[in-house]
Amino acid sequence: MNYLFHILVMINIYIILALSLNLLVGYTGLLSLCHAALYGIGAYITTLLLIHTGLGFLPSLLMAMVGTALISLIVSIPSTRLYGDYFVLATLGFQIIIFAVLYNWISVTRGPYGIPGIPRPAIFGLIFNSVPAYFLFSGILAGLCAWLLYLIKTSPFGRALKTIREDETAAAAFGKNIPRLKNTAFAISAGFAAVSGALFAGYMQYIDPTSFTVMESVLILSILIIGGTGNLKGPVIGAVVMLLLPEILRFLGMPDSIAANMRQIIYGLVLIILLRYKQEGLAGVYRFQ
Amino acid sequence: MQLFIQLMMNGIVMGCLYALIALGFAFVYNTTRIFHIAHGALYVAGVYLFYTFYNVLEVPLVVSILITLPILALIGGFLDWSVHQPLDRENSSLLVHLLSSLGIYIVIVNLIAMIYGNETKIIFPGIQKTFQFGGIILTSIQLLTAVVFLIVFAGILLLLHKTDLGKKIRAMRDDPELLSVLGVNTHGLRLIVFSLGAVLAGIASILTGMDVGMDPHIGFSAVLNGAVAVIIGGVGFFEGAAAGGFIIGLLQSLIIWQTSARWEEAGTFLLLIIFLLWRPQGLFSSGQRAEEVTV
Repeated sequence: MNYLFHILVMINIYIILALSLNLLVGYTGLLSLCHAALYGIGAYITTLLLIHTGLGFLPSLLMAMVGTALISLIVSIPSTRLYGDYFVLATLGFQIIIFAVLYNWISVTRGPYGIPGIPRPAIFGLIFNSVPAYFLFSGILAGLCAWLLYLIKTSPFGRALKTIREDETAAAAFGKNIPRLKNTAFAISAGFAAVSGALFAGYMQYIDPTSFTVMESVLILSILIIGGTGNLKGPVIGAVVMLLLPEILRFLGMPDSIAANMRQIIYGLVLIILLRYKQEGLAGVYRFQ
Repeated sequence: MQLFIQLMMNGIVMGCLYALIALGFAFVYNTTRIFHIAHGALYVAGVYLFYTFYNVLEVPLVVSILITLPILALIGGFLDWSVHQPLDRENSSLLVHLLSSLGIYIVIVNLIAMIYGNETKIIFPGIQKTFQFGGIILTSIQLLTAVVFLIVFAGILLLLHKTDLGKKIRAMRDDPELLSVLGVNTHGLRLIVFSLGAVLAGIASILTGMDVGMDPHIGFSAVLNGAVAVIIGGVGFFEGAAAGGFIIGLLQSLIIWQTSARWEEAGTFLLLIIFLLWRPQGLFSSGQRAEEVTV
């Protein structure tokens, strides 16, 4: 039973990641490849606060969200000046630089050794120790994030972002400050990615940089593209499908060594096929045109 | 000082490899503007195909290379024919091409990993023969790399500037639509460009594999370094891609000298971001920002 809840916890974590990236990819039209780095920064800030300051989970989480959002500006302010594959490449560059920092800044992050012994989140005396309880907790946070992102999407700010996606020149002609809107969207997206980071750290009780590699960024982006962008349903369906798929392979009796590669091959094929025949993904609305 | 010169020499040899990868990437990127991440997969496929023929099937070395490179050329052309040309017919954006190419990369690399496993493989076991030049030590593979690079680079320059095909490739870089109006089969030309790119990736990866061995995941950083080399050298300018490769090779040697090898990729990308912000058109091309050069 714990196995099932474990998958559900991971699905919740990835739903938040996909939803927050959707704010950039689906609403603003910015294809970012450094989401895993921001997710990692959120995880590390939460962990360091929990271990070194004795703050509770919620204050640590809030500070991680703000901290990650601020750090994301270092990425977004230079990157949002660029367009198309140059934007993608710049965010990819920051992903690699941030990973190198997490890996090499041993005095703070302990580098490749990782940080063990992260306490389980406790809120108002409730400790989410069992896996089902953690599923409930992560589910509530995911729901909260989805709700907040929905509010952002339907706000005037969200509509301005959509205008950028459809026609940046028109948005500028309406007097919208394009760079500021893009950077704000980036920071909000990073803040929500930090929620996933905190949930991941609290769940695994151990983090190291290998959870936040380029390939992780690619995975988050594929989840989003396969599920579909531009609405709330797409990212959720993407996360569910992409995380259940490897488990199905396991049930088919495929050995673990092959299953990992097989899973990636299926991801890649699904990505190619969807981009060719159904660009809006399984349940999204936005096509990359 | 001795160490510095030694590291610079290593940097130049690395630069030769990056320049080959970058030139291959440039053939595709300069002409079609497709951000060809699958170039990294072709790179991995090249060295593993060679490994299959040379180490597993024990085919003689030169024959192995002569079989591997045409197969790679076919795969390269096939990728364009099966994925990118259909996308083009639907007027897909370049970001869709990029993501599809990423999908191809994931599929090919994991196929290879499934067959050969994720661990490092060695092509030449044992210690390589070395040569000394006034205290500077180079291995035989490093010398071979430099020689191969010079021959290939000269060949590419001849192809681009002295042959009809080269003229068409440069014309496609400048304006593919006009070229097709003039009656040139641009679809066929694209297949050639993708094949040439794949062959260059294969040459670079076989040389790397002979020197230090390989695992299925070396392709990603290879293609990224190649792409960065193309951009800092100047998109559209083939000689620039080679120069960019040498800059990255030397920079990485400097980083290894001053800090540790774990920072080398971060250094490359810091250089890229600096270029994107202050000289996005690259070192050698002039005028437009590279991202605004029309396809």
